Amino acid sequence: MLGNFIGVLFDGVAYGSLLFIISIGLSVTMGLMNFVNLAHGAFAMVGGYACVVVMTRLGVPFLASLPIAFVAAAAAGIVLERSLYRRLYRATHLDQVLFSIGLVFMSIAATTYFFGPQQQPVQLPEFLRGQVHVLGLDLGTYRLFLIAVVIIITVALTWLIERTRFGAEIRASVDNQQASAGLGINVYRVFSLTFALGSGLAGLGGGLGIDVLGLDPTFPLKYMVYFLLVVAVGGAGTIKGPLFAALILGIFDVAGKYYVPQVGAFVIYVAMVVLLIVFPHGLAGRRT
Amino acid sequence: MPELLRADGITAGYGDSIILEDIALNLAAGESLALLGRNGVGKTTLLLTLMGLARLRQGRIVFNGEEITQLPTHRRAHAGLGWVPQERFMFPSLTVEEHLSVVARPGGPWNLGRIYKMFPRLEERRRNLGNQLSGGEQQMLAIARALMTNPRLLLLDEPMEGLAPIIVQELMKVIGQIVRAGEFAVIVVEQHARLALELTQQTIVLDRGRVVHRCTSEELLRDRSTLDRLVSVA
Repeated sequence: MLGNFIGVLFDGVAYGSLLFIISIGLSVTMGLMNFVNLAHGAFAMVGGYACVVVMTRLGVPFLASLPIAFVAAAAAGIVLERSLYRRLYRATHLDQVLFSIGLVFMSIAATTYFFGPQQQPVQLPEFLRGQVHVLGLDLGTYRLFLIAVVIIITVALTWLIERTRFGAEIRASVDNQQASAGLGINVYRVFSLTFALGSGLAGLGGGLGIDVLGLDPTFPLKYMVYFLLVVAVGGAGTIKGPLFAALILGIFDVAGKYYVPQVGAFVIYVAMVVLLIVFPHGLAGRRT
Repeated sequence: MPELLRADGITAGYGDSIILEDIALNLAAGESLALLGRNGVGKTTLLLTLMGLARLRQGRIVFNGEEITQLPTHRRAHAGLGWVPQERFMFPSLTVEEHLSVVARPGGPWNLGRIYKMFPRLEERRRNLGNQLSGGEQQMLAIARALMTNPRLLLLDEPMEGLAPIIVQELMKVIGQIVRAGEFAVIVVEQHARLALELTQQTIVLDRGRVVHRCTSEELLRDRSTLDRLVSVA
């Protein structure tokens, strides 16, 4: 019983970690640029398919395919930011939503055309498969790996945002675009790079997530609500908020589906409602 | 002195509204200019126009031999415009020291050491966040931050607004030092006309978006009745 509970907790944390990697970029886009980007999951999908393509067609090993997923999604992010997103920074939220949901449908259609509608396989390397025994518990090796990756990314991101000049430029641009530009910070460049970073992390999450979330052309639509939940509950524009939110939602989702399978899919929304009533600005939202 | 700034036929505003009409302005390197006028006559708009933050409809701006009329705001800052906004615009998520280092453009006389020597208070507060400062400290930081960009022209927008008299005195001493040193040119917008006149060499008075008077600051300081007529708050 207790072992079960810890197992569920562990799976929830691993699942939440994955949600965090994918969603952190959305938190930045919504917090920093005030842009509602419903197509964020499409960048995760780009990463996922990049992984599958280099693994199955070029024989690249799984671990080496992850940086490729990051780069592919970041590149897609830069191209789309420069060509399309930038034009809509000052548009209304309705325009942004319509534009980005349009991108979602285009990404679904394009992916179906090139790769077909079926689930994509992923071949995890031997050492990431199976279970390890820790203190009498059986923990999935791949889930441990996911948690480790998220710890590394969180530390690296925190360092980037809190300790580097680029991080200070991001924070200054978030606080006040006009003042930042007036003092020589190239806010457009900061936005582009941040958008690319967020897209890249989503792509990395998409690659890491194939084994857990699956990968098919409807991916951006299927998980859109989850990514938005993480940002809404966590508060946009911080790292800490979405991290806690993703972990909490991950745990509730897994626990709900395990303990009360009849209503399992709703548990996460109950959690959202309660959390938003208690923390209307999100767990660690920036007050504007 | 070589010419630093020349603005001709400036007509500008925000959106569809026009605030400034046909303004001409020039400034030599190291020169100081007071921009006076009653509330709402367009003084701040003129500074924002120079920074590319208002909508310029006509006219051209040449700065340091380069036409900057179409340049994006951050490139104007790189060209040497040091902006001290009226609202001060502190960054709530940056420490005092980060405010200074994030905008620093090395290659000039201003660096962290010199700033801290001039404003010891900021060094004491260097780990505080931008929104944890008093009004006077915020103003010091806004000025210090602009200095860290090593400007050729400092734009001071109502630096004394809302500050206690004792802080005004303290700040005036420091501003006076840097303005008179002539390392860079200065444009001061100020409601307290006398403070601005004592600080500067030239004066321009605006009324309803147009230049209505040009003279030396000394002249206007002596001519009480003209000063009252042009800028007194009824």
